[in-house]
Amino acid sequence: MDLYLGVDVGSVTTKFALITSDKKIYSSCYLKTSGDPIAALKTGLKYIQSHYPSGGVIRGVGTTGSARHLAGVVVGADMVKNEITAHAVAAITLLPEVRTVFEIGGQDSKLIIIRDQVVEDFAMNTICAAGTGSFLEHQAVRLGIPIEEFGKLALQAQQSVRIAGRCTVFAESDMIHKQQLGFGKPEIIRGLCEALVRNFINNLATGKTILDPIVFQGGVAANQGIVQAFHDFYQGKYKIIVPQEHGIMGAWGAALLVLAAKQEKTSFQGFEVINRSYENRSFTCDDCPNSCEIVVLKEENKVKALWGSRCGKWIPELVDEKFSEKEEKTLSFSKNS
Amino acid sequence: MVLEVLYPALGIEIVPPPPITKKTIEIGVKLAPQNACFPMKVTLGNFIEGIEKGADTIFMAGGVGPCRFGYYGQIQRIIIEDLGYDVNFVLIDSPRYGWKNFFSSLKTMVGGKWSISHIHRAVRLAWNVLRYVEELEKTSRLVRWKLKDPSQLDRLIEKSLKEIKNITSVVQLEEIRSNALHEISQLNTLEKNEPIKIGIVGEVYIAQEFRVNFNIEKLLGNMGILVDNSVSTAEYVLNFFPLTRSREKEEAWKLAKPFLKRFVGGEGIDTVGSTIRYAQQGFDGVIHLYPFTCMPEAVAKSIVVGVGREYNIPILHLAIDEHAGEAGMITRVEAFVDVLEMRRQQKVRKASCS
Repeated sequence: MDLYLGVDVGSVTTKFALITSDKKIYSSCYLKTSGDPIAALKTGLKYIQSHYPSGGVIRGVGTTGSARHLAGVVVGADMVKNEITAHAVAAITLLPEVRTVFEIGGQDSKLIIIRDQVVEDFAMNTICAAGTGSFLEHQAVRLGIPIEEFGKLALQAQQSVRIAGRCTVFAESDMIHKQQLGFGKPEIIRGLCEALVRNFINNLATGKTILDPIVFQGGVAANQGIVQAFHDFYQGKYKIIVPQEHGIMGAWGAALLVLAAKQEKTSFQGFEVINRSYENRSFTCDDCPNSCEIVVLKEENKVKALWGSRCGKWIPELVDEKFSEKEEKTLSFSKNS
Repeated sequence: MVLEVLYPALGIEIVPPPPITKKTIEIGVKLAPQNACFPMKVTLGNFIEGIEKGADTIFMAGGVGPCRFGYYGQIQRIIIEDLGYDVNFVLIDSPRYGWKNFFSSLKTMVGGKWSISHIHRAVRLAWNVLRYVEELEKTSRLVRWKLKDPSQLDRLIEKSLKEIKNITSVVQLEEIRSNALHEISQLNTLEKNEPIKIGIVGEVYIAQEFRVNFNIEKLLGNMGILVDNSVSTAEYVLNFFPLTRSREKEEAWKLAKPFLKRFVGGEGIDTVGSTIRYAQQGFDGVIHLYPFTCMPEAVAKSIVVGVGREYNIPILHLAIDEHAGEAGMITRVEAFVDVLEMRRQQKVRKASCS
């Protein structure tokens, strides 16, 4: 059986999707990145290894998400794609007539406009993270409610309280103010959900024509309060679909993209990656006033990849393989002529 | 860059500010008013670094009209004075707003001790250098997308720019120029289909200065995209004088007419006109670069959205300032390129169906 693996390493969560050549998801997982993308990658690979069809062969790997380059090097990706394209491809495959995609993840949110199965326009939040998952999680902790219960509670509210959602800090202080006034938790949560939806629409949808059906994906789509707030915003006129796979759409998209590329050979490193040792360190290059922060990724004590230099001179082939921590500052370089 | 040639040719020692780095930007951001635009902050950082290297006179272009650029020179002068630096700050305004002032600043600029013919020779050389630097940029845009190893091109450009720093005559420049252009034409290329074409429009400083726009031309070129930039410093200088505006500029202004009749400051009209020009020339997309909070470009942006709709051409707007993150920008640019590629495939599919 031919299989394709999609990996989406985001700022907050890491997602894996293993698909078959008929685009169906065979197995998938959704984990916390917890600030350590490499550990999350290993855990994910372990899960996929234990949920793997006998006789299956991985023919291609695609990575996406904010750590797509790191993940690409560690896992051995055939395709490294931005998350906007990955999410769009997944939504189009799921629902060919889709015309708008809302994607709200841990640290950013996206709006993708699709017409005739082609992305026409997109926007990513630039100003503020008030509409995203991290913010919601933070507020849930403040209110003492598990994030899983958060959305359900919002649905219980008879009415909502208007909360200023322009910015994270203001939303938080306004929420505390409403608590002090004596409003109940469900009303406040519903108000918060509505504020976040307003924030999303104001920040991303200005000047864009939103048409339904809308596919709402990303981790936050699990929050029924937010889904309801979107319905209320459009007064129930728009069809909003939350796919069952909403959390792993990016990973699925990455797998679909690599499947569509039909390449002959894969650079997949295999499940041995789980047992290899990785180390990432950074240092400041002092060769010019740009003071680039260079990230070094070592695999089994060998330099595998370097990121972050503006001039582009830091490439693994040019760095002495054995350079120790001390030597890092006084670079042992064989300059490329 | 150009001044580095002009002044030695005039016998005046010049102190070129070090290239723009993170440090330059940090200095500028720290000293400038927070709501000033990014070009003002970066140039202020340039001046301070230049002064620290020993410069005693600073030249800054002035201006009038709706763009705040016109009064930035004055603010920079006050900031530099407040810091206690003892330098001569010369503001050069367009001669359209008074020839007398223009000549008196020019006189300070050359130190007031040279003959007209001497100045003429030096200015001519500097002008040719500017034209050459832009020609080099243009040539690399035309070839980069199909190169086997784009880093070879980077090395050739670097070498040539180093060479022109020591020249004293147009003849020498011509020799360097023909050498470099020949070497570039000899670079190994790959067989490729018709590339995706993207035009760059926007504010002159951000759209031109590769050290602040994350070198977007190179980024796109290395992705296999043919880039054109509607913005040019030489054009900007020509526009400073009456009657020397180029044909492209006149054309862009004419094209912009149905959308924008009035001068809105800066490059507002050019942004609108050039977007239309690219759409008419069959470009796949347009990237609009501008400093965050830039008034003229904010006006242009809302008009360009309508232009994009009317001419059915995708436009990516990128506002750049000291807070702009490189990762976020690259993600957007990559996604934009995917959009253009998908549109192209769809067009091919539709054409083959009918």
